[in-house]
Amino acid sequence: MPTDNPLDRPSFDYMAGVAGLDVADDHMNELFSYVQAALAVTDRLHELDTAGYEPDAAFDPAQFYQE
Amino acid sequence: MDALELCYMSAGELSGLIRDKQVSPVEIVDAHLARIEATEPILNSFITLLPEHARQAASRAEAQIQAGNYRGPLHGIPVGLKDLFNTAGVRTTSGSRVMDNFVPTEDCTVAARFQQAGAILLGKLNMHQFAYGPTGENFDYGHMHNPWNPEMVTGGSSGGSGSAAAAGQCTITMGSDTGGSVRIPAALCGIVGLKPTYGLVSRAGLTPLSWCLDHPGPMVRTVEDAALSMNAIAGYDPKDQATSQRATPDYASALTGSVEGLRIGVVKEYFEAPVDSEVEAAVRAALAQLVEMGATVNEVSLPMFADAQAISGTILMSEAAAYHRDLLASNGGNLTPSVRLRLEAGLFVTAADYLKAQQGRARFNHEMAMLFNDVDLLAGPTEPITAPPLLANEVAVGDRMVGTVAALTQFTRPYNISGTPAISVPCGFSGDGMPIGLQLAGRPFDEATVLRAAHAYEQASEWRLKRPPV
Repeated sequence: MPTDNPLDRPSFDYMAGVAGLDVADDHMNELFSYVQAALAVTDRLHELDTAGYEPDAAFDPAQFYQE
Repeated sequence: MDALELCYMSAGELSGLIRDKQVSPVEIVDAHLARIEATEPILNSFITLLPEHARQAASRAEAQIQAGNYRGPLHGIPVGLKDLFNTAGVRTTSGSRVMDNFVPTEDCTVAARFQQAGAILLGKLNMHQFAYGPTGENFDYGHMHNPWNPEMVTGGSSGGSGSAAAAGQCTITMGSDTGGSVRIPAALCGIVGLKPTYGLVSRAGLTPLSWCLDHPGPMVRTVEDAALSMNAIAGYDPKDQATSQRATPDYASALTGSVEGLRIGVVKEYFEAPVDSEVEAAVRAALAQLVEMGATVNEVSLPMFADAQAISGTILMSEAAAYHRDLLASNGGNLTPSVRLRLEAGLFVTAADYLKAQQGRARFNHEMAMLFNDVDLLAGPTEPITAPPLLANEVAVGDRMVGTVAALTQFTRPYNISGTPAISVPCGFSGDGMPIGLQLAGRPFDEATVLRAAHAYEQASEWRLKRPPV
Protein backbone atom coordinates (compact mmCIF):
# COMPACT_ATOMS: atom_id res chain seq x y z
CA MET A 1 0.00 0.00 0.00
CA PRO A 2 1.48 3.39 -0.92
CA THR A 3 2.38 5.72 1.89
CA ASP A 4 3.87 9.20 2.09
CA ASN A 5 5.67 8.10 5.23
CA PRO A 6 8.00 5.46 3.79
CA LEU A 7 10.10 3.54 6.23
CA ASP A 8 13.18 2.02 4.62
CA ARG A 9 14.72 -1.18 5.91
CA PRO A 10 17.74 0.36 7.62
CA SER A 11 15.52 2.81 9.49
CA PHE A 12 13.15 -0.01 10.37
CA ASP A 13 15.99 -2.17 11.70
CA TYR A 14 17.33 0.74 13.75
CA MET A 15 13.94 1.49 15.30
CA ALA A 16 13.31 -2.20 15.96
CA GLY A 17 16.62 -2.46 17.76
CA VAL A 18 15.91 0.61 19.86
CA ALA A 19 12.55 -0.90 20.78
CA GLY A 20 14.28 -4.04 22.03
CA LEU A 21 13.19 -6.36 19.22
CA ASP A 22 15.57 -9.00 17.90
CA VAL A 23 16.49 -7.62 14.49
CA ALA A 24 18.16 -10.90 13.50
CA ASP A 25 14.88 -12.80 13.86
CA ASP A 26 13.30 -14.01 10.59
CA HIS A 27 10.05 -12.54 11.94
CA MET A 28 11.45 -9.09 11.10
CA ASN A 29 10.81 -9.62 7.36
CA GLU A 30 7.12 -10.22 8.02
CA LEU A 31 6.99 -7.31 10.45
CA PHE A 32 8.64 -4.95 7.95
CA SER A 33 5.94 -5.68 5.36
CA TYR A 34 3.21 -5.38 7.97
CA VAL A 35 4.51 -2.06 9.30
CA GLN A 36 4.71 -0.54 5.83
CA ALA A 37 1.04 -1.37 5.29
CA ALA A 38 -0.03 -0.39 8.80
CA LEU A 39 1.61 3.01 8.66
CA ALA A 40 -0.46 3.86 5.60
CA VAL A 41 -3.19 4.71 8.10
CA THR A 42 -1.21 7.84 8.95
CA ASP A 43 -1.34 9.08 5.34
CA ARG A 44 -4.84 10.44 5.92
CA LEU A 45 -3.67 12.11 9.11
CA HIS A 46 -1.10 14.09 7.19
CA GLU A 47 -3.86 15.48 4.96
CA LEU A 48 -5.94 16.57 7.95
CA ASP A 49 -6.06 20.29 8.72
CA THR A 50 -5.58 20.51 12.47
CA ALA A 51 -4.56 24.16 12.68
CA GLY A 52 -5.86 25.64 15.90
CA TYR A 53 -6.31 22.29 17.66
CA GLU A 54 -3.98 21.23 20.44
CA PRO A 55 -3.38 17.54 21.02
CA ASP A 56 -6.32 16.23 23.01
CA ALA A 57 -4.20 14.33 25.50
CA ALA A 58 -5.62 14.34 28.99
CA PHE A 59 -3.47 15.98 31.63
CA ASP A 60 -4.69 17.50 34.86
CA PRO A 61 -1.90 18.76 37.12
CA ALA A 62 -4.33 18.96 40.03
CA GLN A 63 -4.79 15.22 39.94
CA PHE A 64 -1.51 14.73 41.82
CA TYR A 65 -2.59 16.92 44.74
CA GLN A 66 -5.85 15.19 45.67
CA GLU A 67 -4.65 12.62 48.18
CA MET B 1 -38.87 -22.81 38.76
CA ASP B 2 -37.58 -24.03 35.39
CA ALA B 3 -33.79 -23.77 35.34
CA LEU B 4 -33.57 -22.57 31.72
CA GLU B 5 -36.11 -19.83 32.45
CA LEU B 6 -33.94 -18.64 35.33
CA CYS B 7 -31.00 -18.41 32.94
CA TYR B 8 -32.91 -16.22 30.50
CA MET B 9 -34.48 -13.93 33.09
CA SER B 10 -33.01 -10.47 33.36
CA ALA B 11 -31.47 -9.12 36.53
CA GLY B 12 -34.51 -6.86 36.78
CA GLU B 13 -36.81 -9.90 36.80
CA LEU B 14 -34.63 -12.08 39.02
CA SER B 15 -34.08 -9.37 41.60
CA GLY B 16 -37.76 -9.20 42.47
CA LEU B 17 -37.92 -12.95 42.94
CA ILE B 18 -34.76 -12.94 45.07
CA ARG B 19 -35.95 -10.03 47.19
CA ASP B 20 -39.28 -11.73 47.79
CA LYS B 21 -37.51 -15.02 48.56
CA GLN B 22 -39.35 -16.84 45.78
CA VAL B 23 -36.06 -18.04 44.37
CA SER B 24 -32.66 -18.31 46.02
CA PRO B 25 -29.26 -17.25 44.69
CA VAL B 26 -28.18 -20.88 45.11
CA GLU B 27 -30.93 -22.04 42.75
CA ILE B 28 -29.99 -19.33 40.25
CA VAL B 29 -26.28 -20.11 40.34
CA ASP B 30 -26.90 -23.84 40.01
CA ALA B 31 -29.11 -23.20 36.98
CA HIS B 32 -26.41 -21.11 35.34
CA LEU B 33 -23.65 -23.63 36.08
CA ALA B 34 -25.79 -26.33 34.48
CA ARG B 35 -26.41 -24.09 31.48
CA ILE B 36 -22.68 -23.44 31.17
CA GLU B 37 -21.92 -27.16 31.38
CA ALA B 38 -24.41 -27.87 28.61
CA THR B 39 -23.37 -25.09 26.23
CA GLU B 40 -19.69 -24.46 26.91
CA PRO B 41 -18.45 -27.28 24.65
CA ILE B 42 -20.06 -25.35 21.78
CA LEU B 43 -19.48 -21.75 22.79
CA ASN B 44 -16.17 -21.66 24.70
CA SER B 45 -17.18 -18.45 26.46
CA PHE B 46 -15.00 -18.93 29.55
CA ILE B 47 -11.28 -19.03 30.17
CA THR B 48 -11.69 -19.72 33.89
CA LEU B 49 -14.89 -21.04 35.45
CA LEU B 50 -15.40 -20.66 39.22
CA PRO B 51 -18.14 -23.12 40.23
CA GLU B 52 -17.09 -23.61 43.85
CA HIS B 53 -16.46 -19.92 44.41
CA ALA B 54 -19.87 -19.15 42.90
CA ARG B 55 -21.72 -21.76 44.97
CA GLN B 56 -20.12 -20.50 48.19
CA ALA B 57 -20.95 -16.90 47.32
CA ALA B 58 -24.51 -17.92 46.49
CA SER B 59 -24.88 -19.64 49.86
CA ARG B 60 -23.62 -16.51 51.62
CA ALA B 61 -26.02 -14.34 49.62
CA GLU B 62 -28.90 -16.64 50.47
CA ALA B 63 -28.06 -16.44 54.18
CA GLN B 64 -27.78 -12.66 54.04
CA ILE B 65 -31.14 -12.30 52.30
CA GLN B 66 -32.83 -14.74 54.68
CA ALA B 67 -31.46 -12.65 57.55
CA GLY B 68 -33.04 -9.53 56.08
CA ASN B 69 -29.87 -8.06 54.61
CA TYR B 70 -30.94 -7.70 50.98
CA ARG B 71 -28.45 -5.40 49.27
CA GLY B 72 -30.36 -4.44 46.15
CA PRO B 73 -31.07 -5.49 42.56
CA LEU B 74 -27.74 -7.22 41.91
CA HIS B 75 -27.72 -9.28 45.10
CA GLY B 76 -27.42 -12.92 44.03
CA ILE B 77 -27.15 -12.12 40.30
CA PRO B 78 -24.60 -14.17 38.28
CA VAL B 79 -21.92 -12.08 36.63
CA GLY B 80 -19.02 -12.85 34.27
CA LEU B 81 -16.03 -10.59 33.66
CA LYS B 82 -13.87 -10.38 30.56
CA ASP B 83 -10.53 -11.88 31.47
CA LEU B 84 -8.69 -8.57 31.59
CA PHE B 85 -10.58 -7.43 34.71
CA ASN B 86 -8.28 -8.22 37.63
CA THR B 87 -9.80 -10.53 40.23
CA ALA B 88 -8.08 -11.18 43.55
CA GLY B 89 -6.90 -14.77 43.79
CA VAL B 90 -8.22 -15.68 40.33
CA ARG B 91 -5.88 -15.75 37.33
CA THR B 92 -6.38 -12.98 34.82
CA THR B 93 -4.91 -13.89 31.44
CA SER B 94 -5.98 -11.06 29.11
CA GLY B 95 -6.54 -13.90 26.65
CA SER B 96 -2.87 -14.88 26.42
CA ARG B 97 -1.04 -17.97 27.63
CA VAL B 98 1.92 -15.78 28.52
CA MET B 99 -0.27 -14.43 31.34
CA ASP B 100 -1.47 -17.87 32.40
CA ASN B 101 0.15 -17.61 35.81
CA PHE B 102 -0.83 -14.03 36.61
CA VAL B 103 -2.99 -14.09 39.73
CA PRO B 104 -3.84 -10.56 40.92
CA THR B 105 -3.83 -9.85 44.62
CA GLU B 106 -6.50 -7.17 44.33
CA ASP B 107 -9.85 -6.87 42.59
CA CYS B 108 -10.29 -4.25 39.90
CA THR B 109 -12.73 -1.54 40.92
CA VAL B 110 -15.51 -2.93 38.72
CA ALA B 111 -15.20 -6.40 40.30
CA ALA B 112 -15.13 -4.86 43.78
CA ARG B 113 -18.25 -2.80 43.08
CA PHE B 114 -20.14 -5.80 41.73
CA GLN B 115 -19.14 -7.70 44.84
CA GLN B 116 -20.30 -4.86 47.08
CA ALA B 117 -23.63 -4.97 45.27
CA GLY B 118 -23.90 -8.69 46.07
CA ALA B 119 -23.37 -10.00 42.54
CA ILE B 120 -21.82 -13.44 42.17
CA LEU B 121 -18.82 -14.00 39.92
CA LEU B 122 -19.24 -17.15 37.82
CA GLY B 123 -15.97 -16.90 35.94
CA LYS B 124 -13.61 -15.07 33.65
CA LEU B 125 -14.64 -14.72 30.04
CA ASN B 126 -12.79 -15.47 26.84
CA MET B 127 -11.57 -12.62 24.70
CA HIS B 128 -9.43 -11.68 21.75
CA GLN B 129 -5.82 -11.72 22.94
CA PHE B 130 -4.99 -8.49 24.82
CA ALA B 131 -8.31 -7.13 23.47
CA TYR B 132 -6.51 -6.40 20.19
CA GLY B 133 -8.99 -7.69 17.62
CA PRO B 134 -12.70 -7.35 16.83
CA THR B 135 -13.59 -10.96 15.98
CA GLY B 136 -13.38 -13.05 19.15
CA GLU B 137 -10.84 -15.49 17.79
CA ASN B 138 -8.33 -16.81 20.31
CA PHE B 139 -5.60 -19.29 19.40
CA ASP B 140 -4.47 -19.80 23.00
CA TYR B 141 -7.77 -20.65 24.69
CA GLY B 142 -9.85 -21.54 21.64
CA HIS B 143 -12.13 -19.41 19.55
CA MET B 144 -15.41 -18.04 20.84
CA HIS B 145 -18.51 -19.22 18.94
CA ASN B 146 -21.67 -17.29 18.20
CA PRO B 147 -24.73 -18.79 19.94
CA TRP B 148 -26.89 -18.02 16.89
CA ASN B 149 -24.58 -20.02 14.64
CA PRO B 150 -21.39 -21.49 16.13
CA GLU B 151 -19.61 -21.33 12.77
CA MET B 152 -19.73 -17.55 13.00
CA VAL B 153 -17.65 -15.22 15.15
CA THR B 154 -19.00 -13.65 18.31
CA GLY B 155 -17.27 -10.41 17.50
CA GLY B 156 -14.70 -9.04 19.85
CA SER B 157 -12.73 -8.36 21.62
CA SER B 158 -15.24 -9.13 24.41
CA GLY B 159 -16.51 -12.20 22.56
CA GLY B 160 -16.96 -14.47 25.57
CA SER B 161 -18.99 -11.75 27.27
CA GLY B 162 -21.23 -11.58 24.20
CA SER B 163 -21.81 -15.31 23.88
CA ALA B 164 -22.25 -15.85 27.64
CA ALA B 165 -24.93 -13.19 27.96
CA ALA B 166 -26.70 -14.18 24.74
CA ALA B 167 -26.83 -17.88 25.64
CA GLY B 168 -27.99 -17.45 29.24
CA GLN B 169 -24.68 -18.50 30.77
CA CYS B 170 -24.53 -15.26 32.79
CA THR B 171 -27.14 -12.61 33.59
CA ILE B 172 -24.64 -9.76 33.38
CA THR B 173 -21.25 -9.69 31.70
CA MET B 174 -18.66 -6.98 31.41
CA GLY B 175 -16.51 -6.08 28.44
CA SER B 176 -14.11 -3.32 27.54
CA ASP B 177 -14.40 -1.16 24.44
CA THR B 178 -11.42 0.53 22.76
CA GLY B 179 -12.66 0.54 19.17
CA GLY B 180 -16.00 -1.20 19.62
CA SER B 181 -15.20 -4.25 21.74
CA VAL B 182 -18.40 -4.04 23.80
CA ARG B 183 -20.76 -2.99 21.00
CA ILE B 184 -19.41 -5.28 18.26
CA PRO B 185 -20.06 -8.58 20.09
CA ALA B 186 -23.30 -7.14 21.48
CA ALA B 187 -24.57 -6.49 17.95
CA LEU B 188 -23.33 -9.78 16.51
CA CYS B 189 -24.65 -11.86 19.44
CA GLY B 190 -28.02 -10.09 19.71
CA ILE B 191 -27.66 -8.45 23.12
CA VAL B 192 -27.36 -4.96 24.61
CA GLY B 193 -23.89 -3.45 24.99
CA LEU B 194 -23.23 -0.04 26.53
CA LYS B 195 -19.98 1.85 26.12
CA PRO B 196 -20.33 4.52 28.79
CA THR B 197 -18.76 7.96 28.68
CA TYR B 198 -14.98 7.91 29.10
CA GLY B 199 -14.30 8.50 32.78
CA LEU B 200 -17.66 7.25 34.05
CA VAL B 201 -16.59 3.65 34.80
CA SER B 202 -13.21 3.00 36.37
CA ARG B 203 -10.45 1.33 34.35
CA ALA B 204 -8.44 0.64 37.51
CA GLY B 205 -7.29 -2.97 37.54
CA LEU B 206 -7.98 -3.62 33.86
CA THR B 207 -5.22 -4.55 31.42
CA PRO B 208 -5.01 -1.49 29.17
CA LEU B 209 -5.08 -1.58 25.40
CA SER B 210 -5.16 2.18 24.94
CA TRP B 211 -5.30 4.37 28.02
CA CYS B 212 -7.26 7.16 26.37
CA LEU B 213 -9.66 4.98 24.35
CA ASP B 214 -10.51 2.16 26.80
CA HIS B 215 -14.08 2.12 28.16
CA PRO B 216 -15.38 -0.71 30.41
CA GLY B 217 -19.09 -1.40 29.87
CA PRO B 218 -21.93 -3.84 30.59
CA MET B 219 -23.12 -6.49 28.13
CA VAL B 220 -26.58 -7.79 29.00
CA ARG B 221 -29.84 -8.99 27.50
CA THR B 222 -31.98 -5.97 28.44
CA VAL B 223 -31.47 -2.23 28.62
CA GLU B 224 -32.79 -2.26 32.19
CA ASP B 225 -29.92 -4.57 33.15
CA ALA B 226 -27.45 -2.15 31.59
CA ALA B 227 -28.93 0.57 33.78
CA LEU B 228 -28.81 -1.60 36.91
CA SER B 229 -25.19 -2.50 36.15
CA MET B 230 -24.29 1.15 35.73
CA ASN B 231 -25.91 1.97 39.05
CA ALA B 232 -23.46 -0.46 40.65
CA ILE B 233 -20.24 0.36 38.81
CA ALA B 234 -20.36 3.99 37.63
CA GLY B 235 -18.75 6.85 39.46
CA TYR B 236 -15.54 8.38 40.68
CA ASP B 237 -12.66 6.12 41.62
CA PRO B 238 -9.51 7.59 43.17
CA LYS B 239 -7.58 4.70 41.60
CA ASP B 240 -8.41 5.91 38.07
CA GLN B 241 -7.31 9.45 37.34
CA ALA B 242 -9.63 9.64 34.33
CA THR B 243 -12.82 9.12 36.33
CA SER B 244 -15.14 12.05 36.78
CA GLN B 245 -16.19 13.32 40.19
CA ARG B 246 -19.64 14.36 39.00
CA ALA B 247 -22.58 12.68 40.71
CA THR B 248 -24.15 9.75 38.92
CA PRO B 249 -27.92 9.53 38.56
CA ASP B 250 -30.16 6.51 39.07
CA TYR B 251 -29.98 5.17 35.54
CA ALA B 252 -32.93 2.83 36.02
CA SER B 253 -35.22 5.76 36.79
CA ALA B 254 -34.43 7.18 33.35
CA LEU B 255 -36.25 4.28 31.68
CA THR B 256 -39.57 6.01 31.21
CA GLY B 257 -40.57 4.18 28.05
CA SER B 258 -40.95 7.45 26.16
CA VAL B 259 -38.95 8.99 23.33
CA GLU B 260 -41.46 11.80 22.85
CA GLY B 261 -39.67 14.90 21.65
CA LEU B 262 -36.24 13.32 21.34
CA ARG B 263 -34.27 14.59 18.35
CA ILE B 264 -32.32 11.81 16.64
CA GLY B 265 -29.72 12.49 13.98
CA VAL B 266 -28.91 9.76 11.49
CA VAL B 267 -25.30 10.05 10.41
CA LYS B 268 -25.56 9.93 6.63
CA GLU B 269 -21.95 8.82 6.20
CA TYR B 270 -22.87 5.54 7.91
CA PHE B 271 -25.16 4.66 5.02
CA GLU B 272 -22.77 5.94 2.39
CA ALA B 273 -20.25 3.35 3.56
CA PRO B 274 -20.88 -0.22 2.39
CA VAL B 275 -23.74 -1.68 4.46
CA ASP B 276 -25.47 -4.99 4.01
CA SER B 277 -28.99 -4.45 2.64
CA GLU B 278 -30.67 -6.49 5.40
CA VAL B 279 -28.81 -4.50 8.05
CA GLU B 280 -29.80 -1.20 6.47
CA ALA B 281 -33.45 -2.28 6.22
CA ALA B 282 -33.55 -3.36 9.87
CA VAL B 283 -31.95 -0.14 11.11
CA ARG B 284 -34.20 2.06 8.98
CA ALA B 285 -37.24 0.14 10.27
CA ALA B 286 -36.09 0.76 13.85
CA LEU B 287 -35.71 4.47 13.13
CA ALA B 288 -39.19 4.54 11.62
CA GLN B 289 -40.51 2.91 14.77
CA LEU B 290 -38.84 5.57 16.92
CA VAL B 291 -40.59 8.22 14.80
CA GLU B 292 -43.93 6.48 15.36
CA MET B 293 -43.17 6.63 19.07
CA GLY B 294 -42.72 10.38 19.04
CA ALA B 295 -39.06 11.02 18.24
CA THR B 296 -37.96 13.15 15.32
CA VAL B 297 -35.34 11.69 13.01
CA ASN B 298 -33.26 13.81 10.66
CA GLU B 299 -30.20 13.17 8.58
CA VAL B 300 -27.00 14.81 9.80
CA SER B 301 -23.46 14.82 8.49
CA LEU B 302 -20.23 13.94 10.25
CA PRO B 303 -17.64 14.61 7.53
CA MET B 304 -14.78 13.50 9.75
CA PHE B 305 -16.27 10.01 9.93
CA ALA B 306 -13.80 9.23 7.14
CA ASP B 307 -10.90 10.24 9.40
CA ALA B 308 -11.93 8.08 12.35
CA GLN B 309 -9.81 5.09 11.42
CA ALA B 310 -6.68 7.17 10.95
CA ILE B 311 -7.17 9.03 14.23
CA SER B 312 -8.12 6.12 16.45
CA GLY B 313 -5.86 3.63 14.67
CA THR B 314 -2.78 5.78 15.19
CA ILE B 315 -3.56 6.43 18.85
CA LEU B 316 -4.43 2.80 19.47
CA MET B 317 -1.31 1.40 17.81
CA SER B 318 0.95 3.79 19.71
CA GLU B 319 -0.54 3.27 23.15
CA ALA B 320 -0.90 -0.50 22.80
CA ALA B 321 2.73 -0.79 21.76
CA ALA B 322 3.86 1.45 24.60
CA TYR B 323 2.02 -0.65 27.19
CA HIS B 324 3.19 -4.02 25.80
CA ARG B 325 6.70 -2.97 24.77
CA ASP B 326 8.54 -4.95 27.44
CA LEU B 327 6.42 -8.03 26.77
CA LEU B 328 7.14 -7.80 23.05
CA ALA B 329 10.85 -7.68 23.70
CA SER B 330 10.87 -10.53 26.21
CA ASN B 331 8.13 -12.84 25.01
CA GLY B 332 6.83 -11.63 21.65
CA GLY B 333 7.33 -15.02 20.03
CA ASN B 334 4.72 -16.56 22.28
CA LEU B 335 1.94 -14.17 21.28
CA THR B 336 -0.62 -14.93 18.59
CA PRO B 337 1.17 -13.86 15.37
CA SER B 338 -1.54 -11.44 14.21
CA VAL B 339 -1.73 -9.76 17.62
CA ARG B 340 2.06 -9.62 17.85
CA LEU B 341 2.24 -7.86 14.48
CA ARG B 342 -0.42 -5.32 15.49
CA LEU B 343 1.37 -4.57 18.75
CA GLU B 344 4.82 -4.34 17.22
CA ALA B 345 3.64 -2.07 14.40
CA GLY B 346 2.83 0.58 16.97
CA LEU B 347 6.51 0.81 17.88
CA PHE B 348 7.09 2.45 14.50
CA VAL B 349 4.53 5.24 14.80
CA THR B 350 6.38 8.51 15.32
CA ALA B 351 5.65 10.82 18.23
CA ALA B 352 4.74 13.49 15.69
CA ASP B 353 2.09 11.25 14.13
CA TYR B 354 0.71 10.28 17.54
CA LEU B 355 0.29 13.93 18.43
CA LYS B 356 -1.15 14.71 15.00
CA ALA B 357 -3.76 12.05 15.72
CA GLN B 358 -4.52 13.69 19.08
CA GLN B 359 -4.93 17.00 17.28
CA GLY B 360 -7.25 15.27 14.85
CA ARG B 361 -9.17 13.88 17.81
CA ALA B 362 -9.70 17.38 19.16
CA ARG B 363 -11.06 18.54 15.80
CA PHE B 364 -13.21 15.42 15.49
CA ASN B 365 -14.67 16.01 18.94
CA HIS B 366 -15.37 19.65 18.12
CA GLU B 367 -17.27 18.54 15.01
CA MET B 368 -19.26 15.97 16.97
CA ALA B 369 -20.10 18.50 19.69
CA MET B 370 -21.50 20.80 16.99
CA LEU B 371 -23.81 17.98 15.88
CA PHE B 372 -25.15 17.65 19.40
CA ASN B 373 -26.28 21.28 19.32
CA ASP B 374 -29.13 20.14 17.08
CA VAL B 375 -29.83 16.57 18.18
CA ASP B 376 -30.08 14.58 21.41
CA LEU B 377 -28.86 11.30 19.94
CA LEU B 378 -26.97 10.03 16.93
CA ALA B 379 -28.11 6.78 15.34
CA GLY B 380 -27.01 4.22 12.80
CA PRO B 381 -26.09 0.58 12.45
CA THR B 382 -23.66 -0.80 15.02
CA GLU B 383 -22.22 -3.07 12.35
CA PRO B 384 -22.48 -3.02 8.55
CA ILE B 385 -22.87 -6.80 8.49
CA THR B 386 -24.04 -9.69 10.60
CA ALA B 387 -21.49 -12.05 12.18
CA PRO B 388 -18.97 -13.29 9.60
CA PRO B 389 -17.52 -16.81 9.59
CA LEU B 390 -14.63 -17.61 11.91
CA LEU B 391 -11.16 -16.85 10.51
CA ALA B 392 -12.40 -14.85 7.53
CA ASN B 393 -9.87 -12.12 6.70
CA GLU B 394 -12.32 -10.44 4.34
CA VAL B 395 -16.09 -10.19 4.37
CA ALA B 396 -18.66 -9.31 1.74
CA VAL B 397 -20.48 -6.07 2.45
CA GLY B 398 -23.05 -5.64 -0.26
CA ASP B 399 -21.15 -6.18 -3.49
CA ARG B 400 -17.74 -5.30 -2.04
CA MET B 401 -15.11 -7.32 -0.21
CA VAL B 402 -13.80 -5.47 2.85
CA GLY B 403 -11.17 -6.38 5.44
CA THR B 404 -12.93 -7.92 8.45
CA VAL B 405 -11.23 -5.70 11.05
CA ALA B 406 -12.03 -2.50 9.15
CA ALA B 407 -15.61 -3.59 8.49
CA LEU B 408 -16.33 -4.48 12.11
CA THR B 409 -14.86 -1.32 13.65
CA GLN B 410 -15.86 1.43 11.20
CA PHE B 411 -19.12 2.46 12.91
CA THR B 412 -17.98 1.99 16.49
CA ARG B 413 -14.59 3.76 16.51
CA PRO B 414 -16.02 7.30 16.25
CA TYR B 415 -17.49 7.11 19.76
CA ASN B 416 -14.22 5.91 21.25
CA ILE B 417 -12.61 9.01 19.79
CA SER B 418 -15.35 11.23 21.22
CA GLY B 419 -15.57 9.33 24.48
CA THR B 420 -19.33 9.79 24.36
CA PRO B 421 -21.82 7.09 25.44
CA ALA B 422 -23.00 4.63 22.79
CA ILE B 423 -25.22 1.60 23.03
CA SER B 424 -26.00 -1.30 20.72
CA VAL B 425 -29.53 -2.65 21.04
CA PRO B 426 -30.97 -5.53 18.97
CA CYS B 427 -33.12 -4.32 16.05
CA GLY B 428 -33.70 -7.39 13.93
CA PHE B 429 -32.37 -10.53 12.31
CA SER B 430 -31.04 -11.41 8.89
CA GLY B 431 -32.71 -13.98 6.70
CA ASP B 432 -30.28 -16.59 7.99
CA GLY B 433 -31.15 -15.81 11.59
CA MET B 434 -28.22 -13.64 12.67
CA PRO B 435 -28.77 -10.61 14.93
CA ILE B 436 -28.54 -6.96 13.85
CA GLY B 437 -27.79 -4.04 16.16
CA LEU B 438 -28.94 -0.41 16.26
CA GLN B 439 -26.36 2.02 17.67
CA LEU B 440 -27.50 5.08 19.62
CA ALA B 441 -25.00 7.64 20.93
CA GLY B 442 -25.48 10.64 23.20
CA ARG B 443 -23.72 13.61 24.75
CA PRO B 444 -20.97 13.05 27.34
CA PHE B 445 -22.40 11.75 30.63
CA ASP B 446 -25.92 11.65 29.19
CA GLU B 447 -26.27 7.88 29.53
CA ALA B 448 -29.77 8.54 30.83
CA THR B 449 -31.02 9.66 27.39
CA VAL B 450 -29.17 6.87 25.57
CA LEU B 451 -30.65 4.25 27.89
CA ARG B 452 -34.11 5.83 27.77
CA ALA B 453 -34.30 5.69 23.99
CA ALA B 454 -32.81 2.21 23.75
CA HIS B 455 -35.19 0.94 26.42
CA ALA B 456 -38.26 2.51 24.80
CA TYR B 457 -37.36 0.94 21.44
CA GLU B 458 -36.57 -2.41 23.05
CA GLN B 459 -39.93 -2.50 24.82
CA ALA B 460 -41.78 -1.56 21.64
CA SER B 461 -40.11 -4.38 19.71
CA GLU B 462 -39.92 -8.09 20.44
CA TRP B 463 -36.32 -8.87 19.46
CA ARG B 464 -35.32 -9.39 23.10
CA LEU B 465 -37.69 -12.34 23.33
CA LYS B 466 -35.83 -14.43 20.74
CA ARG B 467 -33.38 -17.02 22.03
CA PRO B 468 -30.42 -18.52 20.21
CA PRO B 469 -30.75 -22.16 19.15
CA VAL B 470 -27.77 -23.38 21.17
